Amino acid sequence: MLLVEDDAGIAQEVSAELSGRGFSVVHAATGPDGLDHAMSGAFDVLVLDRLLPGLDGLAVLERLRAEGVRTPVLVLSALSAVDDRVRGLKAGGDDYLAKPFAMEELAARLEALLRRPPETRETVLRAGPVEMDLITRQARRAGRSLELLPREFRLLEYMVRRPNQVLTRDMLLEDVWHYRFIPQTNLVDVHIGKLRRKLDPPDETPLIQSIRGAGFLLRVEE
Amino acid sequence: MTGRIRSAADLFGTATFRLALGSSVLLAGVALLQFSLIYWRTTQYEVERADRLLDREAALMAAQDPADLREQMRLWATNDLRLLITAAGLFDADRRPIAGNLRDWPEALPVDGAIREITVHPLDQGVRTIRAEALPVPGGRVLVIGRGLRDLQQIRSITLDAIETAAIPALLFSLLAGAWLSRRNLVRVGRMQLAIDRIMEGGLHERLPVRRGGDEMARLAGSVNRMLERLERLLDEIKGVGDDIAHDLRTPLARVRAGLERAVLHPMPADGLRAAIDRAVADLDQCFSVITALLRIGEIENGRRQGGFSVVALREVAAEVVELYEPLAEAAGNRLLLDHGPAGSLRGDRDLLVELLANLVDNAIKFTPAGGTIRVAVLVRDQEPVLRVADTGIGIAPSEREAVLGRFYRSDKSRHVGGSGLGLSLSSAIARLHGARVVVSGADAGSGAVFEIVFRNETMP
Repeated sequence: MLLVEDDAGIAQEVSAELSGRGFSVVHAATGPDGLDHAMSGAFDVLVLDRLLPGLDGLAVLERLRAEGVRTPVLVLSALSAVDDRVRGLKAGGDDYLAKPFAMEELAARLEALLRRPPETRETVLRAGPVEMDLITRQARRAGRSLELLPREFRLLEYMVRRPNQVLTRDMLLEDVWHYRFIPQTNLVDVHIGKLRRKLDPPDETPLIQSIRGAGFLLRVEE
Repeated sequence: MTGRIRSAADLFGTATFRLALGSSVLLAGVALLQFSLIYWRTTQYEVERADRLLDREAALMAAQDPADLREQMRLWATNDLRLLITAAGLFDADRRPIAGNLRDWPEALPVDGAIREITVHPLDQGVRTIRAEALPVPGGRVLVIGRGLRDLQQIRSITLDAIETAAIPALLFSLLAGAWLSRRNLVRVGRMQLAIDRIMEGGLHERLPVRRGGDEMARLAGSVNRMLERLERLLDEIKGVGDDIAHDLRTPLARVRAGLERAVLHPMPADGLRAAIDRAVADLDQCFSVITALLRIGEIENGRRQGGFSVVALREVAAEVVELYEPLAEAAGNRLLLDHGPAGSLRGDRDLLVELLANLVDNAIKFTPAGGTIRVAVLVRDQEPVLRVADTGIGIAPSEREAVLGRFYRSDKSRHVGGSGLGLSLSSAIARLHGARVVVSGADAGSGAVFEIVFRNETMP
């Protein structure tokens, strides 16, 4: 992956952390430098700071997209303004993360970008023992029907599309409920808790796992 | 700068003086016009009177025989008829005088019986202007009779006297009054300038002097004083917010520092160390959430997002928030209900409105003890769309209603409850962005709190 970030401290921490997670990280400190690297197309994912010396992050992104480089890009920014996020995504970014961020959050989002679920026309989704019919809105675990509310169905569908992948609270808020702000309470935990009680009865192997400091994960046999 | 008047130019340059000068000139003009009118009307009347008199006398004379005429001339010269006819002359066919006090034939007077104004020099008087007519009388002679306009000259001098004795002193008086008033105002303005100078030097507690009586300048000074009060309060608030930020950031930062220091100083097992670091990270996150919320409030208050407004159905917003928060309320042992009302819709930012309501609901859930009910309602009252969140929680004392919407406010009862403490401030900023007002009510302690966001009617599409 390519990290374009001008702050040496953050760049070092991010590189070290991601290398530890098995990423091979190339670091560029300026916009033009980052653009040169990115043009090679040799990266699976890009992390692009919004404010860069030489060439603004969004300008780099627009240039890349104009040149037809399709590499997924995660835009980093110290500006948390909602409009800024919209602009980042409009310029061709695939995800957006405001500083300060947790490493777990960054790692989970990069993972998600690398393992984006394929566009599928399937109307039945499967992940391990879980089976979901998108037409009849029926969900089953190992043949046992689950009585899910619409909101629980949506949440499970999102997880089933991304099995064995860490999903952070912010990702769930943004993608499942289209929330653009951080609620004052542990809203996501409560929703997961409800779903968990229906999906994972005490006598069966729990499918939804909590990942300490990160979020949740639907653990299934591949 | 002093309160003194520096020069005559100052005095005469004031609006008051100019006003006085202007009105004096106007006054003089009106007086002049009035007197002229009186003079003109009197003259006209006097001339008409003279003409009528002359016509009457002329008609009488024309019928007299010559002897009588001569007698008549003598009478005019001696008795009180003299008051009526002041000049008369009888001339023969060659225009030579026969009788009367007019000895010279008035050339300017044709013999046609019409009345004209001419200048003559009668024997017993000086040169004067008279109304006169010449008419032929029997015997080929010509009679000239005339009436002087002496009264008129008297009227003229009376009029001029009147102007001198009345109008000129009045004019002078009003100019003096103007100068005095203007001096008085200059002194007052000078005092205000002194006060303003002191305020500009930082004395924000200083106020402009307000004289009792409430004239326009006192009213202006009163307004300025109220403005100063508001500014002072705003500055205090900003300072208060600064103090609050410092406090709310300092507390978690102090904990981070203490925790990390302890972890370094005292050897502890790996999981103890880990727990200490986790606590530090959590405290730092708390700091960040405060900063993020403040930035958002700033962003919303700047109002830059109004460009992205579109038509939003409040009922959908409410349904979405209720669906999202229902499990949370349930986990807290409360019921969260949505009252369906008429569909109110307005122009706004959907995401922000969701956030607004979410913060209110979140707040209600936090402050409602288990077994309570939170009702979310969308209604239209007096054609104004209203979002309402009512709970059965601890309520808000009337004295605290304003303050709960301010930044960082938490009543003493709620200090132990988590969050950035800025949820309601965010909601109130979003409401303001939409031109809506926040009404806190139903809040006698114990009976639960009611928050209403009342949107403006004109925001209806």
